[in-house]
Amino acid sequence: MEEEERKYHENFMREAIKMAELALSSDETPVGCVFVKDGAIIGRGMNETNKTLNGTRHAEFVALIQILSKHPISILQSTDLYVTVEPCVMCASALRQYGIRAVYFGCWNDRFGGTGGVLNIHEDPSVDKPYPVHGGIFREEAINLLRRFYVQENTKAPEPHNKKTRELKLLESGV
Amino acid sequence: MTTSQIAQHGIFHGRVDAQKLGITPKQGRLVALRTRDELRAATELLDAYVVAVPAVFASAVLDVIRIAIPNIRDVNIQHLRRVVNFPFLPDHIQQTFAASAQTWPFPNDLDGAPQAGNSNPIETRYLLVSPASLIALPDLVASLVREPPFSIANIVPHVFTIPVPALAPTSAEEAQEWSEKYWSISYKNTNPYGPHPSLLERNQAGIEPYAGTWLALAEVAGGQTSSRGIGENVGCVIVQKERKEHRVIAVAGDARWRGTGDSKPCTEEPGNVMAHAVMRAIGMVARKRVRLEHSPDELTPDAAGYIACDVPLSPVEHSFFSVDNLPSTGYLCVDLDIYLTHEPCVMCSMAILHSRFRRCVFEHAVKATGGLTTSRESPSVENGLGYGISWRPAELNWKFLAWQWENE
Repeated sequence: MEEEERKYHENFMREAIKMAELALSSDETPVGCVFVKDGAIIGRGMNETNKTLNGTRHAEFVALIQILSKHPISILQSTDLYVTVEPCVMCASALRQYGIRAVYFGCWNDRFGGTGGVLNIHEDPSVDKPYPVHGGIFREEAINLLRRFYVQENTKAPEPHNKKTRELKLLESGV
Repeated sequence: MTTSQIAQHGIFHGRVDAQKLGITPKQGRLVALRTRDELRAATELLDAYVVAVPAVFASAVLDVIRIAIPNIRDVNIQHLRRVVNFPFLPDHIQQTFAASAQTWPFPNDLDGAPQAGNSNPIETRYLLVSPASLIALPDLVASLVREPPFSIANIVPHVFTIPVPALAPTSAEEAQEWSEKYWSISYKNTNPYGPHPSLLERNQAGIEPYAGTWLALAEVAGGQTSSRGIGENVGCVIVQKERKEHRVIAVAGDARWRGTGDSKPCTEEPGNVMAHAVMRAIGMVARKRVRLEHSPDELTPDAAGYIACDVPLSPVEHSFFSVDNLPSTGYLCVDLDIYLTHEPCVMCSMAILHSRFRRCVFEHAVKATGGLTTSRESPSVENGLGYGISWRPAELNWKFLAWQWENE
């Protein structure tokens, strides 16, 4: 990636990380995203599954709701997504159906990632147009946010596991 | 009485009275979806060696094999019977062995008196030696020929290579079918590749009598949004079943054509993807949970409801949404069942999984977009995408039971 191009993408990933930090401070799984059209952010989202008690209210959906309240659906065909964690299978499929142009993400999701982590919803056979994905932008920061969250208790989950014994291990950037 | 009047309580004890719901239950049965691993188990074959030996030497030859192929302990071939009697061989294997029968110079009972001539041929057993990948055929023959009975009878064994199922069967029917086609198979009433047969049977028996009612209600939901021009004729119903008590928690039709920005309906493909019936119904369950946690004046209207369409848009949706019939403890859609007119798309299939549903029933499979069915064909829009999202426990972090409804 050219230096200038890399800076462009990192700039938006930085904005996505801010949303993830906001999620962490509101006891939500720290995943954040921004949608970008023509170099401008048209929507921001963070995971809101705990607040809404809705397991599908991932950062992408929160931002999409915001975007679609102001723009026609067709705007997504010329829009890119920057998200701190790889989109899950559900979001990957939603993005493909909406016709997203490209997806940039931080770390992979090996539990239910839909764009390479577990499945390849972005490029598998489908009636909808495939989209390119680029992973690994500020990967360590995205992982560290998740690690900070998982040593906290998720009090909404049934029979919360005792996480007191969990150690916080952080990655150094540049690893 | 209308649907809305009955739904005022939303709790049905004992027999579900479909007439009172104003619907005609569908008549039919549930067919469990095959998991991806079950399909793989049903199609994966391996080559194995088989050989005929006098019955009295069967275990001695197995010992020889254990020594000649030490790593046979590392392969799982427990579903393949090692020692088989002639009548239990598939027809074509019977023919192969009959055509190459060897005359053994032994009596049937080594301790008894020798028998005269060939009038009473020696009893033979047919051994499954090992997967062919474990030893080269000449090495195997060399190992066997050195030991009894081959060494004392001066006979070179006829070893055949045949295809056999590589993995264990997942049902008694499958074991029977394979035994007739490949080699005698043992079945242990387990299923490592999908839900345990007894678990599946128990769950199916519990919901089958009511599934036709909920599917008919899902059809009403799809009809009400599509006739208003705001969605496809697709609907779903979310039910909590505790023993004999049924609670209809949410009912939703598709609303992808409702439009988002202004009041004009949307007409351009793909429409509003997040307004698929499943996403809407899950959103309504969540809103009901939020409503239970907060007093009414704490609840503020938000824009999400308009765009995500997770608020009721038709009479049947309203009648069930307005009832507070969820237990006050509960998490997402744990212990809930979902009934759909159509197979959910990949997004909706994963939404069901994320929401931790217990069971899912749909009527019409949708090859081009469905996320639950599996296929022996390679994935394509024509053959089906083959994701089998409901049961991939090694890869995804939840699994649920899924059936397709078959109308009578």
